[in-house]
Amino acid sequence: MAAHNLKHALFCAIVTLVISYPILGFNLESQGTSVILEGAKTSTVIGVLLAAVIVFLFQLFRDNVMGSLRQLPAVNPLANRKPMEQSRRLKLESALLTLMVIGALIWPFIASRGAVDLATLVLIYIMLALGLNVVVGLAGLLDLGYVAFYAVGAYTFALLSQYYGVSFWFALPIGALLAALFGLVLGFPVLRLRGDYLAIVTLGFGEIIRILLNNMTSLTGGPNGIGGIPDPTLFGMEFGRRVKEEGNTSFHETFGIAYSSEHKVIFLYLIALVLAVITAIAIRRLMRMPVGRAWEALREDEIAAKSLGLSRTAVKLSAFTIGAFFAGFAGTVFASKQGFISPESFVFLESAIILAIVVLGGMGSQMGVILAAIAVTILPELAREFSEYRMLIFGAAMVLMMVWRPQGLMPMRRIHIELKPQE
Amino acid sequence: MQDLLYFIQQLINGLTIGSTYALIAIGYTMVYGIIGMINFAHGEIYMIGAYTSLIAITGLAALGIAWLPLVLIVALICAMIVSSSMGWAVERVAYRPVRGKHRLIPLISAIGMSIFLQNYVHLAQGSRNIGFPDLIEGGFRFGAADSFQTSISYIQITIFITTLVCMTILSLFISRSRIGRACRAVSQDLGMANLLGIDTNRIISATFVIGAALAAVAGLLLGMYYGSIDPLFGFIAGLKAFTAAVLGGIGSIPGAMLGGLILGVAESMTSGYLSGEYKDVVSFGLLILILLFKPTGLLGKPEVEKI
Amino acid sequence: MSTPVKKLVTAIGTSIAVMGAGHAAAEIKIGIAGPMTGPVAQYGDMQFAGARMAIEQINAEGGVMGEKLVAVEYDDVCDPKQAVSVANSMVNEGVRFVVGHLCSSSTQPASDIYEDEGILMITPASTSPAITERGYELVFRTIGLDSMQGPVAANYLISQEPDRVAVVHDKQQYGEGIATAVRDTLEEGGVEVAMFEGITAGAKDFSSLVTKLRQADVDYVYYGGYHPELGLILRQAQQADLDATFMGPEGVGNKDINTIAGDAAEGLLVTLPPSFDEKAENQALVQAFEEKGEDPSGPFVLTSYTAVQLIADGIEAAESTDPFDVAEALREGTFQTPIGTVEYDSKGDMESFEFVVYEWHSDGSKTPVN
Repeated sequence: MAAHNLKHALFCAIVTLVISYPILGFNLESQGTSVILEGAKTSTVIGVLLAAVIVFLFQLFRDNVMGSLRQLPAVNPLANRKPMEQSRRLKLESALLTLMVIGALIWPFIASRGAVDLATLVLIYIMLALGLNVVVGLAGLLDLGYVAFYAVGAYTFALLSQYYGVSFWFALPIGALLAALFGLVLGFPVLRLRGDYLAIVTLGFGEIIRILLNNMTSLTGGPNGIGGIPDPTLFGMEFGRRVKEEGNTSFHETFGIAYSSEHKVIFLYLIALVLAVITAIAIRRLMRMPVGRAWEALREDEIAAKSLGLSRTAVKLSAFTIGAFFAGFAGTVFASKQGFISPESFVFLESAIILAIVVLGGMGSQMGVILAAIAVTILPELAREFSEYRMLIFGAAMVLMMVWRPQGLMPMRRIHIELKPQE
Repeated sequence: MQDLLYFIQQLINGLTIGSTYALIAIGYTMVYGIIGMINFAHGEIYMIGAYTSLIAITGLAALGIAWLPLVLIVALICAMIVSSSMGWAVERVAYRPVRGKHRLIPLISAIGMSIFLQNYVHLAQGSRNIGFPDLIEGGFRFGAADSFQTSISYIQITIFITTLVCMTILSLFISRSRIGRACRAVSQDLGMANLLGIDTNRIISATFVIGAALAAVAGLLLGMYYGSIDPLFGFIAGLKAFTAAVLGGIGSIPGAMLGGLILGVAESMTSGYLSGEYKDVVSFGLLILILLFKPTGLLGKPEVEKI
Repeated sequence: MSTPVKKLVTAIGTSIAVMGAGHAAAEIKIGIAGPMTGPVAQYGDMQFAGARMAIEQINAEGGVMGEKLVAVEYDDVCDPKQAVSVANSMVNEGVRFVVGHLCSSSTQPASDIYEDEGILMITPASTSPAITERGYELVFRTIGLDSMQGPVAANYLISQEPDRVAVVHDKQQYGEGIATAVRDTLEEGGVEVAMFEGITAGAKDFSSLVTKLRQADVDYVYYGGYHPELGLILRQAQQADLDATFMGPEGVGNKDINTIAGDAAEGLLVTLPPSFDEKAENQALVQAFEEKGEDPSGPFVLTSYTAVQLIADGIEAAESTDPFDVAEALREGTFQTPIGTVEYDSKGDMESFEFVVYEWHSDGSKTPVN
């Protein structure tokens, strides 16, 4: 056993060296017009060697290390607690949600403008993640091109306002419905596909939408994007310093208060908040309705679901359409917040980030998804000094999370009837 | 005549690209065939292969070694070793612990690995495009000297031949060798293979190592053919190769070859006769269309739903 | 809206106004926004180096109207989404003068906020004409426009009397903008544009494009975009024996193109702003950069330096730190800067910004043409 361990440990250490030393230890630098090779800093080399030694020692004493780790008293005292009673859990959850909404309502009046703006972005991601949660978490359909529907919502508003002067409030339902229509259209070919084929087709679809937006220069402005997207108005009151559209009045003049640019930011935040709450409630309701049950049934076992008389077509299409609908919502708010959109906001990485939010939060769990959206959006802002390592850490976190806690931060718990032991 | 020469030229361009897609697609298809997961990080392994071979070539040049066959062989071996080790390590760290879990979990782990590796190289080597030396120059030309000539360069020929050789060796390996037989057994029924005394963990590792080695070959060849590399180019190529694998029927090695060639030719014809802007639209559109009529790809086995 | 809410809103409005007043300290904040990280961080470094140097030198000479300049730096990664949050942070910090942003797609959404908030912005690098086309009062730049650079290139091509020209671009804002300007000027000048086509930025395989160019039998190829793609096109064109001269904008005039294209870069034509760091009157400044171990030759170093200097000069000319007064002073005045004499038109663009046609060589050097 010991000899085997030694061999294995040595092998692992060598592999560590092989995969890190050539890439980290030598830097390709351009000097004048040619490429030359430079040795890395001594500290890097030492780091690489140290990593190999650590891997070697860990693998050599793997059994001991893991064994002693297991013998440690549980680090997390809650790990072995009994699952909370359902009625209590529900109460706690709804109290927490209410608290969050109240906190979110107070937030813009205590936080700085930048923080409010960031919070708006968080809310947009919450909407997106909740929508994708329906498709991936509940229906179990892996959608890697979700960003396409987001783009459809954003571009619908941008184009409608540019060509027809349509305001935010009219564009909001149109954008969402159009995105839902795209979801429906994509849903049809996808119906026959299973699992990973579905993933690649949705990915392809997302790319197609982005490339088309980029190429149809005469309609969408191509890479130049569309600017001058109007802000939402409140019953015909604009929040800008000057009124841009005739017939509108300005907010600060109507109420006779000094102009402040914060009004606009706060107003947009509140709209996003209301929409996010609507999204959360709507999906919560849907989850408890027969269609929500059908999604989960399909995710768990397609054949069993079919044999129980569920129409696979209808169930899959409804999931796709509803997921896309909320992405359209989020897209419209995003366009309005940015005032300018271009295809580069809708790349594959964006889809991957939304998917990561859903997975990190716990597939199917609304609470978890909301927390994950907050974490994923805010952490990079807090860790600006580490911004170079941001994506590296993000990737590593995705892997580690899957390895250690695949069910997510707050796994979904279904509402169920508990049997009480007989007295 | 000129139109025909033009067509042939675009066909050659397409087949060259297509055969490299096929080389990368093998990695996807083998892994999928055996454990039924998409190794999203495979494109990055190909990119790392290209970086390693460039590091080796530059290093040899600094040492004053310029004999071409030696340079190519050393670069190839270095790239294969590093890529294979990477493939082995990725499987060990990111995929083995999540094997057998819900199928979304390995996939997300793979996407995370892909992002991680991309940024690993990005941080180590910078995000710049780095030029790749032009080691194999020249080629043949056909057609009248004063009008359009069809040309085929030595590097294009090298790519064709290497791909064919690799494919043949791989097919023989899978059908004849002991490990190959074990591979097929594992892909048919992992549990049963295990019961019959096959070290399935070892076979799965071997699959990753073989796929990564082929990706390294593609990395060196394409680095020379295109002329520059950057940390992002693996992802794009990986996406295309994966599309090729799905197109041909994921899990099938001849399917990967066929899918790669079709995709390459479709792209080159779109650029040649329509516009380069739409080549990605055409390749993804083609994929959707084929899957509509053959949901398991061109040469894929129809999935039987087991209850 | 009910009265309590109205009261609340009013109260908040007032409190913000008070906070705003509190910011007026005896220093002038200069916001610098650009990419410190991400794929174009190398250009951001130039921007920050130039602006920091200007702030340092102005402070060493006693500041502006007796007040010191303080740099407030933010990283926007050249991502439109982050640019908006950077702009909001600038508002938070009470910054009233911004040097930035770098990428046109970041500058555009950020400038909406600056204009609304009464913040004066000078971009040292964004060349998209759309930025100054919206009638904004507070948006300026210290760099030429795509629509200026394109015609310079096209007019040079027209003077060479080519039979056929192909215009290719990378489908990005910058590349397509210049390429469109080149095409339009060529067509006005009576030159046949045989091909106008986009490629995908980040792509590696241009064999189909090169074949198409050979088929089209063109004398010149104009490429709107950056060096990584053009380097590959040049190299793949040389391998396929494409007999045409290539030309590109300043985005390709970078030594990195030589590491990619090798010999194939010889004879490439590039339109560039004149090398400000080679001007005799800038030598003292160049030395100051070199003493700090920084390279003043990047295209955006001295434009950023100039942006800070213009803000300082504008404040002194207006005798006020109100951005609207400064903007007016900038529009009315004439300023001597390291990038030459600067005068602004009503849109906030410089009256003239010179571009010169250079011939690029395979050793990375360049010589002016004609």
